[in-house]
Amino acid sequence: MKFSKRELFKAAGAAALLPLFPKAGFAGDWAALEAQAKGQTVYFNAWAGSEPINTYIAWVAEQVKARYGVTLEHVKIADAAEVVRRVRDEVKAGKAEGSADLVWINGENFRAMKAEKLLFGPFADELPNFKYVDTEGKPTTLVDFAEATDGLESPWGMAQFTFFGDGSKISEPPRSMDELVVFAKSNPGRVTYPAPPDFHGTTFVKQALYESITDRSFLRLPAKDDEFPRLAAPFFDLLDSLHPHLWRAGQQFPQSQAQLKQMLADGELLMALTFNPNEPANLVASGEMPASTVAWQHRAGTIGNTHFVAIPINSKAAAGAQVVANFLLSPEAQGRKAELKIWGDPTVLATAKLSADEARFFGTSVVPGSVTDPAPALPEPHGSWVPLLETAWLESYGT
Amino acid sequence: MRAWLNSFAAFLPLGVLWLGPLLAGLLAVLYGALDGEAWLTLFEHPQLWPALALSLGTGTLSLIISAVLAFWIVAGLYGGKLWADSSSLMGGFLSLPHLAFALGLGFLITPSGFIARVIGSIAGWPVPPQWVTTQDPYGLSLITVLVLKEVPFLIWLIGAQLARPDVSQMLKGHFRVSQSLGHGGASVWLRVFIPQIVPRLKWPLLIVWFYGASVVDVALAIGPTQPPPLSVIIWSDLNNADPAFNARGTAGALFLTAALIGLALVWMVLKKIFLPSIWKFFTRGPSRRRTPTITSGLLLLFFCAVYAMVFAVLCVMSIGTLWPYPNLFPTEVRWTAWQQFVMSPAPLLNSLSLAFASTLAALGLAVFWLETVPEKLDAALLVFAIVAIALPSLLVADGQYLAFLRLGLNGTWVGVFLAHLTQVFAYVFIVLKGPYRAFDPRYRAVSLGLNADPLRFWSTVKLGMMKPALAAAAAVGVGVSIAQYVPTQLIASGRLTTLPVEAVTLASGGSRPLMAVFALMLAVVPAIAFLVAARFGRKPL
Repeated sequence: MKFSKRELFKAAGAAALLPLFPKAGFAGDWAALEAQAKGQTVYFNAWAGSEPINTYIAWVAEQVKARYGVTLEHVKIADAAEVVRRVRDEVKAGKAEGSADLVWINGENFRAMKAEKLLFGPFADELPNFKYVDTEGKPTTLVDFAEATDGLESPWGMAQFTFFGDGSKISEPPRSMDELVVFAKSNPGRVTYPAPPDFHGTTFVKQALYESITDRSFLRLPAKDDEFPRLAAPFFDLLDSLHPHLWRAGQQFPQSQAQLKQMLADGELLMALTFNPNEPANLVASGEMPASTVAWQHRAGTIGNTHFVAIPINSKAAAGAQVVANFLLSPEAQGRKAELKIWGDPTVLATAKLSADEARFFGTSVVPGSVTDPAPALPEPHGSWVPLLETAWLESYGT
Repeated sequence: MRAWLNSFAAFLPLGVLWLGPLLAGLLAVLYGALDGEAWLTLFEHPQLWPALALSLGTGTLSLIISAVLAFWIVAGLYGGKLWADSSSLMGGFLSLPHLAFALGLGFLITPSGFIARVIGSIAGWPVPPQWVTTQDPYGLSLITVLVLKEVPFLIWLIGAQLARPDVSQMLKGHFRVSQSLGHGGASVWLRVFIPQIVPRLKWPLLIVWFYGASVVDVALAIGPTQPPPLSVIIWSDLNNADPAFNARGTAGALFLTAALIGLALVWMVLKKIFLPSIWKFFTRGPSRRRTPTITSGLLLLFFCAVYAMVFAVLCVMSIGTLWPYPNLFPTEVRWTAWQQFVMSPAPLLNSLSLAFASTLAALGLAVFWLETVPEKLDAALLVFAIVAIALPSLLVADGQYLAFLRLGLNGTWVGVFLAHLTQVFAYVFIVLKGPYRAFDPRYRAVSLGLNADPLRFWSTVKLGMMKPALAAAAAVGVGVSIAQYVPTQLIASGRLTTLPVEAVTLASGGSRPLMAVFALMLAVVPAIAFLVAARFGRKPL
């Protein structure tokens, strides 16, 4: 690997020295960092399938330009895996000046980048605004799919698995996997989920595993190949009883959550799913779903997680990227992001602990399409379960 | 000697801008496939064989159906009143990219789509039917899109052959002879014309075949999912975060290519053995059967209706925010998608800059070659052009991605430009070669005899006479560049986005109105290029 001396020094310095500095000592450094960031261009690689997100990022770009002189370019990608691949290839090719400076990331992609040392940092817990993060109430801000963040990524938003549909067509939404089987039986062909390894499809499968496994404590631990068939047997029973009643008798599955959403809006399906509890309300606001839309979570809890931003090790604007990451954590940016009309992405901050001045950025209104009876967030199963589940799913239902 | 020096000079820019990147890509993909582990995991993939069967099946079936329909329509209309109009109509249909067409057709045939709504509102269906139309497991909707898109292409190609003076002269003679022997029109087509035209079209037919069996963007939009065609599996492997998957994708691209070439070889052998006897069976006895004028006309009408509906539905989709079944018109109409498109014009601008630059470069290279290199070397270049077009774009683009990685070209405009030029030059050269070489050298002799210097002759006389051919080649070049999805997505590495990249991203996870806007823009840009070209020459396409 070839990196410039400055880059190496910066990385080594950050790794070796920063943990020794007390928080108070960082303030001076932060001003220096902001000075260094001025004039830098930060290429923010972020999934761009949704217009509210793109519009929000455009707002962030305006703000950081005006406040810190940082130019933020939104590199619109379809899948964060593309960025992981690109950074890896660039580092392999010895390219110290990488093409990505900030990545929207979590889960498997983070695990891969962390394991392969493709990330700059630790920097996240040194950001001045990190003090607002609700690390106690939202433990997933520090543990990303059972992988410790170690300050290599900065929390950005919260997600929790949520279902939604048209309330005028669903009198009683199914609030567990067992109820979902009954619901699908009485509405054949009107329920489905995206095929794994689509992110939402995999989450649905994980949720099914959660609700069928006899001892949940196994899910915290690495999955073992030899024990998997025995532990997952009730899970396959559940899917076997569900699939015959799904859309196209469970022989075919939509490819993405967006497709599911569109099929719901068209009237082809009765329900869809999302990882953003505010998305249904958002869709009502933007006119894409009727005002009678209802959203719900399974009574015993649904899988929740946090999404983050991280800085690739070969970023050529690491200072600017940190300034942006810090701005993303500010009450103003977080509050605006949580606003339904803007994006509706739940905040990672401890809103109860904010001062009145800081809390004013967060609205409190209840709108059509919001989750009426929120359920607890279940932590993601250990990441090693994912490849086993996906392979088993593909073998059993994919051909 | 001088000719060879000239060829070398002509080869330099061509080598750097076109042949070099093409060969580098092919070498890089072969080198990248030297990974035993990748091949092992490829052959362990549970969906490999069904996916391969699906790819080969959809490609082959769409080719056969398209060829039959195209010849049916041409046989019925050739020489008739509708022929001139219909062949220029086909050129118009041709300019609509496959992807845009697939996105529009998808909404026509999906269970909650427009056709179901029309039937449902008459038959009184309260909920959408449970049809298995888009993304059906057998790839029938994929085949439908391919057929509807390839038939105009084939008709245009057949028309181009029939328009050649030598061919039409010969066919006229054959027609008279066959008629006096008691054969009807259909019989003449089946026995005399088709066997003479098909060999002339063997390369285009091969390109259509391989394209259908390896297409990515259309398969993503409307193809089956469980299992998907092999091209889609390869595509998701190439875009995976894990380098082991990337290697498997490279191996998969090579495997699919090898399977296609193998299938083509099998076809050649079978053709030698069985075709004569099959042909005999089809053409027993003299038949007075006439050409299928009415069914051909109806087929043409059907094509026009489908294309018009696709276009209309895309227009309505682009403003229909909420459009639930069974409404024939959206319940929520907003211009948001168009506003968003205008607010962030980068995809359009990138598409336009790439299309113009690659087309201009391709025209320059092709004219330079045709002016400086003797005609006998054309065949060699043609082989490479056909290789560039016929090989699955997955293979060529993955190779160029791997090669450009070392050169630092990925994520740059220049890298994407070179990837576009790989395709654009091949098409431009093929389109331009015929008319350019057919130029009568006596014009030059006359001009020089009239004391015009060679450059003046070229710029005033030859350029003027070549204008329709150049305009047609330019329109084809723009159309080819605009439709590039696979190379753009891989080599742009997210750094610059174009119309098809946005359209596919939106089709897989975004707002339908915005997707419709991009599909429409995908259709509009080549259509404008085509119309402009049509103004430059009587019959540009």
